[in-house]
Amino acid sequence: MTTDLTKEPERTPAAQEGAAEISGAEIVLEGVVKKYPGQKAAAVESLSLTIPAGEIVMFIGPSGCGKTTSLKMINRLIEPTSGTIRIGGEDIRGQSENELRRNIGYVIQGGSLFPHMTVAKNIALVPKLLGWDAKRISTRVEELLDLVGLDPSRYRDRYPRELSGGQQQRVGVARGLAADPPVILMDEPFGAVDPITRQRLQDELLSIQRELRKTIVCVTHDIDEAIKLGDRILILQEGAQIAQYDTPEVILGAPANEFVEDFVGSGSSLKQLSLTRVSEVELRRPTTATVGEQVAEVKRRAEANGDRSVIVLDSRNRPVGWPWLRQLKGDVVLEPTEDLVNLDQRATLNDALDTMLSSSHGGAVVTGDRDQYLGVVVFDAVTDHIRSLEEQARG
Amino acid sequence: MADTRTAARDPHAGIVMEAEPETGAKQGRRIDRETVLMLTVPPALVLIAFAAFVVWRQSAEFNETELRQLAWTEIRSLLWQHVKLTVTSSVLVVLIAVPLGIALTRSGLRKFSPFVVGFANIGQGAPSIGLIVLLAIWLGYGFWTSVLALTLYGLLPVLRNTIVGLDGVDPTLVEAGRGLGMSAGLVLLRVELPLALSVIMAGVRTSLVLVVGTATLATFINGGGLGAIIQTGISLFLPKLIVAGALLVALLALFVEWLGRVLEFLARPKGV
Amino acid sequence: MWDFIVERREALLYNTFQHANLVVQAVLVATVIAVLLAVLITRVPRLEGPANAISAIGLTIPSFALVSLLLTFFSFGSLPAFIAVAFYAVLPVLRNAVVGLQGVDATLLESARGMGMSEVTTLVRVRLPLAWPVILAGVRVSMQMSMGVAAIAAYVGGPGLGTYILKGLTQIGGANAINYALVGTIGVVVVALLADLVLLLVGRATISKGIRV
Repeated sequence: MTTDLTKEPERTPAAQEGAAEISGAEIVLEGVVKKYPGQKAAAVESLSLTIPAGEIVMFIGPSGCGKTTSLKMINRLIEPTSGTIRIGGEDIRGQSENELRRNIGYVIQGGSLFPHMTVAKNIALVPKLLGWDAKRISTRVEELLDLVGLDPSRYRDRYPRELSGGQQQRVGVARGLAADPPVILMDEPFGAVDPITRQRLQDELLSIQRELRKTIVCVTHDIDEAIKLGDRILILQEGAQIAQYDTPEVILGAPANEFVEDFVGSGSSLKQLSLTRVSEVELRRPTTATVGEQVAEVKRRAEANGDRSVIVLDSRNRPVGWPWLRQLKGDVVLEPTEDLVNLDQRATLNDALDTMLSSSHGGAVVTGDRDQYLGVVVFDAVTDHIRSLEEQARG
Repeated sequence: MADTRTAARDPHAGIVMEAEPETGAKQGRRIDRETVLMLTVPPALVLIAFAAFVVWRQSAEFNETELRQLAWTEIRSLLWQHVKLTVTSSVLVVLIAVPLGIALTRSGLRKFSPFVVGFANIGQGAPSIGLIVLLAIWLGYGFWTSVLALTLYGLLPVLRNTIVGLDGVDPTLVEAGRGLGMSAGLVLLRVELPLALSVIMAGVRTSLVLVVGTATLATFINGGGLGAIIQTGISLFLPKLIVAGALLVALLALFVEWLGRVLEFLARPKGV
Repeated sequence: MWDFIVERREALLYNTFQHANLVVQAVLVATVIAVLLAVLITRVPRLEGPANAISAIGLTIPSFALVSLLLTFFSFGSLPAFIAVAFYAVLPVLRNAVVGLQGVDATLLESARGMGMSEVTTLVRVRLPLAWPVILAGVRVSMQMSMGVAAIAAYVGGPGLGTYILKGLTQIGGANAINYALVGTIGVVVVALLADLVLLLVGRATISKGIRV
């Protein structure tokens, strides 16, 4: 299986959105082998692979295929038996393992936060190891908490057990990003949370990646997650043999062999829904209101537009509620107490369908970077898109 | 098998107590009824009983020997000897057992851990009085022989709890620490030891109680301590002395147990 | 040393037997008392806290203090020794029995009641068998601890190997002091190991195969 790496992948975030500059570094594995003493078969037999800078590459495969071993060799938690690994052109054996790891973010399932340290202390660990001064660390902690969608003043002094699973995972991501490493390794990062939280965390990761453009290597066992998050997917067979390494589109459209076909599973036309982002379908822009506005004025505007409900935004242009007009009471618009489920613009149509089905409005609010309001995706837009996909498939 | 055998001989660390630190760790500084009870009742009891002793000591009739043994200056000096024995031995116990326990949980030495713990277990099966007498025969009478016996006797609970506590730390946390670029020593210092501390302190408390009780026997080899009052009482058959000595020793032991509990309580990391 | 043992083998065997006898009897009595108390505690949950507290306090009291205190109520001999050993032996068994009985899955108890078992039958057929491994672990702790208490009890005239240790103490400087002390101490270790082995076999024989670990 060879992959033409000179070919620009179709779905490079930069190409698509012209977003931030790449801050990641290229990772190259060359003939990497891991053999455990006393075991006949090698856990990883000669893996060669290039992970382009600024991309998310998903490692996936059946359990025991060596995907986690391969990941952990990149930060030397597992030492390769032979072969070389280079990050940004430099051999990882060139520096001490501790130094190396301080420059590689590491995010683990469930967050693996240290339970006896506060959120802030957990995040500050690596910057402290790197000798940052206290002020820089504290600024960085606030910045990161903000980035992962946690209010610093509310959460920085909490202990991990005082957070929900999803919040712990967010802090885990923040900790991985703390020292602004060019490379981030993730080991089934969202495996321990419920499906809705997982979807949100995935959206957030994509939104963060849009800003930071790190090189992210992520192990998963969930093919949908791989399709959604990955710029490229590495499908491994036993012994970490590459079954296919390509973009999600190619893997879904042209599986390299039977193994990949089986692994990706049936219903892959439905999986195409995981390939399309919400940002690719047309968004509606219904009437919006800002917290603190006069209710009468909002109602007048909505009726003029023919809307029976409005999207309420907070002062920072983040959607916080979606009430019906009749639910607006009092003089001014108050901050709603409902928990509005938003979709990130990088969410897939699959996610969008899920969210819409549980919404009484038959649609879902879509947000961009840092939860900024973009618009609303409605059922019709999605079904239109599916129809056009089917037509394409029929040729 | 290994577990129950490990628990042998040490009532505070039966399988019940080994389970306790774990649930305690999950619930954090949760203050349950038993904790409240054990943190408040014993010191109150000790105070009341000591007050009763003072009243009795001032009002009851004593013969000359009893008066000599129960003179406040004498009691104070015996008490001081007892405390010195207990503190010296316990400090030695911690200084030996904690590093040993740490060493036995490092990957290179882990394979020796069952042997060391097994050996310590059998050693713990020896009666304290036998150990004291044998050491006295070998090394002669005195304070330091007593300290040696008490230290040997108090090692096991701390050693075992250090191993159990460190083994109980979630290995993914250790890996997380390593993955973030902390050195092995730093992970031990910042992650493993803080998380194992309350289990280790439970061992220290058990050991303190063993040591303070066994120190009563030090008087047999001129090691000093409150046991002297009891010994005089028995050899001359003076019941008042026996009761007074037994009471004082028991009160001191309860007080030390309480101190151990306070330490254990304070050692619990806040977030866990 | 060998001559010392051979010369006194009969007395030695007798004292070893006495030591084991005292401990085993005391532990047996203690186990019965502890299990009964534990059953009572599981029925009246309010007693659990105080019971645990008393058990912890009891274990804190130095055995030498209790043994001598008992001496003032009873004369020199086996009785204060027996009471002291039994007192300490109750505590670990009690603690484990309470945990063991409470640890029985509530749904099992409900299904037992649902089958029409009376409360007593449930206790005997379901609760005790399921709690037995935990109780037995407590008995083993008790047994080991009692061996040492019994040795100290020799000071107030209790029977057993402790008498050798005390002879060693009083004869320090004499030729046989070390022999006496060694024989007494090692004797207790051996008896303790044997007793533990026996309890292990008892466990093999009495713990249901379905819950053996």
